[in-house]
Amino acid sequence: MGWTSQDDLINQLTTNGKGDTVVTTKTLSSAGTAGAWTLLAGHAGYPPAATFTGTDLTYVPTDDTWSEGTIYTGGDVSPATKHFLSGGAACVAAAGAPWYIMAIDLVGFVPLSGTNVSTTGTKTVTMTALGSSGSKGDRYANGQGLRMFVAADTAMGANAPTCIVNYLDTGGGAGATTTFTSTASMGIGQLLNTGAAANKYNPFLPLAAGDTGVSDIVSLVWAGTAHASGACIIGLCKPLWMIPVPATGLYCKADFVNALPSMRKIPDGANIQFLLFQTGATTSGGTVNVDFDYGYGG
Amino acid sequence: MGFASVSDYVAADEAGQVWVSSFRKTVASAATTTNAWTDYTYFAGSPVANFYASTPLAAALIEADKGIYTGGNVAPATKHLKNLLLMSAASAAASTANGRQEVALCDYLLYYPFIDTDAIGEEQVFDNTVTMPRYTGGKVVAVSQSAASTVGQFTFTYTNQDGVAGRVSQNNFTFAVAGGGQVVSASGAGASYNPFCYLQAGDTGVRSIESVTMSAAGGGLMCLVIVKPLLKSVVSQESRRTTSGNLESYGACTELASIIHQAGAPRVIDGAVLGLLASGYAGSLASSILAGALEIVWG
Repeated sequence: MGWTSQDDLINQLTTNGKGDTVVTTKTLSSAGTAGAWTLLAGHAGYPPAATFTGTDLTYVPTDDTWSEGTIYTGGDVSPATKHFLSGGAACVAAAGAPWYIMAIDLVGFVPLSGTNVSTTGTKTVTMTALGSSGSKGDRYANGQGLRMFVAADTAMGANAPTCIVNYLDTGGGAGATTTFTSTASMGIGQLLNTGAAANKYNPFLPLAAGDTGVSDIVSLVWAGTAHASGACIIGLCKPLWMIPVPATGLYCKADFVNALPSMRKIPDGANIQFLLFQTGATTSGGTVNVDFDYGYGG
Repeated sequence: MGFASVSDYVAADEAGQVWVSSFRKTVASAATTTNAWTDYTYFAGSPVANFYASTPLAAALIEADKGIYTGGNVAPATKHLKNLLLMSAASAAASTANGRQEVALCDYLLYYPFIDTDAIGEEQVFDNTVTMPRYTGGKVVAVSQSAASTVGQFTFTYTNQDGVAGRVSQNNFTFAVAGGGQVVSASGAGASYNPFCYLQAGDTGVRSIESVTMSAAGGGLMCLVIVKPLLKSVVSQESRRTTSGNLESYGACTELASIIHQAGAPRVIDGAVLGLLASGYAGSLASSILAGALEIVWG
């Protein structure tokens, strides 16, 4: 459970110490793409740059013990529930403003590299469907509320194939995302399905009508002219909150306690990561700072 | 159905009955008129540009990919606008022209393209084979599809929100614009800019438009678009950073949470094609970028 009142929240935080503050910093390793979104996990900073290690086409679940870099949020608190209380963000870069920062819980990913990127056709994924076991991997029962994106893990090569991801919805029914057109030569972390052009979807891949989540990633299908090189991931995540950053050097703070509805839950095991939307092409070396407060009751 | 309580919103969110989309539209380089309205759907970006390019004078629907994606059809549930974020990037480090915009989020319903504003006295009759897909009436926006050289005047006949045909609009003016995508409806001899055309007294909406007649030439092409306004907001300050002297950053984000800031969250009907109209009160919006995000929730 969370809190029964504002007084309970204050008591749990100030008397019982059930909460903390997290600060994270990322420095972009390459220039961004105007109008596109970027997954910051692969960029240097705190946590360190993730490389999304795993067997090609095999789903890798991630949680708050992910060895490649996650943010510690106090560990498991069940049967209490943990919630965001506030969030803040700033960007410092000569170009790219304004920005949006979105916090996500990265539930898992599927790595693709080599010929799984440089050839067209269906790339079948090995994944055990998410269920309702209550385990950390199933922290969103049956994939409820989960969204997908395709992000560069290393810089992508030339060409811009079309792409579609087949999946199972929360009830186990087959579904397919809307086809998107990738972008050539996107840098680390940049979402191939996003941008300011036709057949782009920002930031997540549209699901089939009526679907509310993803329980299983079945396959990815490249068509057209394949990327010449590169590696990418299919990311599976739960969107959490978003903060605007209007200009470089401005710090923006969001209060999640007094906004309605808010205090988004942080499930035990959550792997908090961040997506960055850039209106212009953010300068290489641009720095992104994000912080948030969380608390729990019970 | 919609929502009965705040906790209903939370429950819907937890159940994944929510969709967030970002959008980014760059106004073309042709100058826009201060205080006049601009149709952001016409410009490049994401979603892609909507040039109203189809058979002249024939009613047409705007393709879904020209609107901001809102999560697909969810019937029998109903979708509602939960949050809207708006920021505008200046065209240059020293430009303040894109500050102070009034913005209207609309569902684009039906349009009639390529009206010749030079055809004085000729009744340009519309083909209404295609009908309005949502709502029983909307507002009429006159969008330029070319530069226009002078002040024109027109009336149009239409069927109103109650289905009464033969209604005749009040006299509407057009005015000179530098390019397409600019809203050219005006009153006050063409110098008082309106987002929506004036209808016959007593009418609140338009279901279809049967014809248009120019009584004074406007020197261009325009499109009449029927839209359903869902929400109005503002962009208060442009986002930019100076590059000389004392370096300074400017910018603001408009954050509208419909559950807090207005009574009820506007409904987004399945099939809606969402786009934005805006009026720039600080100057021309040329080459500025509107970057925003909206969140849709369904119960």
